[in-house]
Amino acid sequence: MSGNLMGQDPLLQTYDAVVVGSGATGGWAAKQLAEAGLKVALLEAGRAVTPKEFTEHMPAYKLKYRDHSPEILRTRPVQKQCYACMEYNYEWFVNDLENPYSTPTGKPFTWQRLRILGGRSLVWGRQSYRMSDSDFKAASRDGYGDDWPIAYADMAPYYDIVEKYVGISGAAEGNEMLPDGQFLPPMKMSCGEIQLRDRVKATFGRTVTIGRVAIITENHNGRLACHYCGPCERGCMTFSYFSSPFTTVKDAVASGNCTVITNAVVSHVNMDDGSNKARGVTYVDRLTRQVKEVRAKSVILCAQAMESTRILLNSSTREYPNGLANSSGALGRYLMDHVTGGGASGRLPDFKALPNANEPARPNGIYVPRFRNTPSSPKHSRFIRGYGYQGGSSAQFNFNAEGYGTTLKHAVREGVYGVSLGAFGESLARWDNYVAIDPNLKDAWGIPALHINMTHGDNEAALMEDAGASAAEMLEAAGAKDIHVQANVETPGMAIHELGTARMGNDPKKSVLNSFNQTHDVKNVFVMDGASFVSSACQNPTLSMMAITVRGCANLIDRFRKNEV
Amino acid sequence: MKRRDLIRAGVLGGAVVALRPSVAAAQNAAQSSELTPAQSGVDASKDLAAPGWKPLFLDEHQNETLIVLSDLIIPATDTPGAKEALVNRYIDLVLAAETRETQSAFLNSLGYLDGESIRRYKTAFRYLAREDQDDLLHSFAYSKNPSRWTGESSGPDVGHSHFDALKRRIMTAYYSSQIGEKELGWDGAFAHGPYLGCEHPEGNHK
Repeated sequence: MSGNLMGQDPLLQTYDAVVVGSGATGGWAAKQLAEAGLKVALLEAGRAVTPKEFTEHMPAYKLKYRDHSPEILRTRPVQKQCYACMEYNYEWFVNDLENPYSTPTGKPFTWQRLRILGGRSLVWGRQSYRMSDSDFKAASRDGYGDDWPIAYADMAPYYDIVEKYVGISGAAEGNEMLPDGQFLPPMKMSCGEIQLRDRVKATFGRTVTIGRVAIITENHNGRLACHYCGPCERGCMTFSYFSSPFTTVKDAVASGNCTVITNAVVSHVNMDDGSNKARGVTYVDRLTRQVKEVRAKSVILCAQAMESTRILLNSSTREYPNGLANSSGALGRYLMDHVTGGGASGRLPDFKALPNANEPARPNGIYVPRFRNTPSSPKHSRFIRGYGYQGGSSAQFNFNAEGYGTTLKHAVREGVYGVSLGAFGESLARWDNYVAIDPNLKDAWGIPALHINMTHGDNEAALMEDAGASAAEMLEAAGAKDIHVQANVETPGMAIHELGTARMGNDPKKSVLNSFNQTHDVKNVFVMDGASFVSSACQNPTLSMMAITVRGCANLIDRFRKNEV
Repeated sequence: MKRRDLIRAGVLGGAVVALRPSVAAAQNAAQSSELTPAQSGVDASKDLAAPGWKPLFLDEHQNETLIVLSDLIIPATDTPGAKEALVNRYIDLVLAAETRETQSAFLNSLGYLDGESIRRYKTAFRYLAREDQDDLLHSFAYSKNPSRWTGESSGPDVGHSHFDALKRRIMTAYYSSQIGEKELGWDGAFAHGPYLGCEHPEGNHK
């Protein structure tokens, strides 16, 4: 427990707001509300974090297993599927033995998550893209699903606020599917990427741009510019990439209005008898297992899409027997995660540059915005919606060289000039992709765990098939040889972009939240994270999640000022 | 002041302003048991070179065979090879922590090498003359392509599969070692920024 507000016992106060979760969205909620003068309790299920435990500058040979530890799999067989769960930092990720969930036979889901101050913002991929107006109105354009209750124009001011504060480096492109934003100078492209960009534009008219990324390329808001050491997911001593503990949470605490309570594993929302109002939340102390209550005038869930929904499902009352604020029955439904597994890789034989271990390590790649089913392109015959690519091109050491001996040693150093594109496709919102409480499963704190039922469907498979073929033709146009095509559908969860399960909407019979993330049913309970998404688009969602949080908080602050809470 | 010093100065300054004392105090209370050895600052790079080292998993013959094999796969040239990098010791350490299935697969591959050596030369691999070791390895080192005439494969290339599995472990062990990092040219600095990207004239990216 920490951040004691004005020296008082944090559990004897009634806060204006209790924010559950300290990641990308929770940090923003705490900052916005506390800086507006509201008294905030910020609850985090994990421990605090300090820059002393950052390891981005430690070479692998100093590790016992040089980052190939088989021991991690014993406690984190699910988490280890995440590229960012390493021998360096695995303790940041949840222990799978303590944090179970179930899936139906033959329907795996990989749920990769952290419980520590800052949550996944400590290890996220940092790619930051706006959604377009076409994304918010996708259903009107192709007839599938539902539109969002908000349009791009509603979001644009909040994207501005978030981008200006976070620091997003990127290049303006004027692309209809990827609105430009408030950018810091873009990172540079490699020779191969420039050739790919120019030839793809000339051949197909498609845009290839440098990744828009939450890493600052010049000093910004008291943080130092990126020094290109590479492995952001192990921490950043200069705070050059955006993570909440050292930005938003820091600001919230600095306001004097925010109490941070760590090791608080929230089990449920508490309701005031007979008032249809929440009075706060109950948590189990992660270390002592003591059960405690935090009282607040409003409850803001930012615990991660499925965790926020789990808390509501575990908060059933006589009035809401199927989960708090679930009169619609939509709570837990419409789970989404971007589909991955389509793309291509090859080599650019014209490029003679040798790999260089002393090259600055750019923690970013290139991005190809969606070009299928756009307002200016024809409707595709086999699928709706679309996908974008992340990728890159550079000289790499050739660890796949054939043979052995002196020849092998030389071949490794000679390297290959590689190029690759990997797709992230829209995951359609479907009623039958859902989470529910597993009546037979509890976590290590006695809190009922989730049953996750999700599959990607035919549309997602068609997207990845097209993504493989389209990537190959673009690499070929760039002059690539030995092109290897992938058209797989990866296990749901692998994109680590879980969205939906408490979607927003104008119709209380079909949605859980209104357009300001307030539950239709209980007016002082809010869900301000990815759970609120109506559709997934194909852009990496964290930037949109943060903007939605800031928008929701602005509305909540207004309500407090009008004395409506 | 060098770039690295600048960064360190910035880090110290940043850490002071990053957190108010109340939060910082709680963060200091983070349980050390919840830090990885790396996050606790443990440097294990000298462990394998400790005097009196003994294998945890391999027997003496397997260990000696692995030393001989690794020296053939990545020999010393103008730079040190796998033997100097003690890849046998690293592989033994990892195998000791591996699943029985993985342990068994490794021993199967090493045993295959000895089996073929005994079948062809009547003696285990480590005892062969260097020339014979080279001949045997060469027969496994390259995957058998489908027939140029019929396009048909001659079936699973078992020898190459075992060779490849052993080679991959040796390569991982070597290139993740300090010697291996130097072989790749790394100068030991943790950052070399900023990234300048392509600096060639327009349209001349070679």
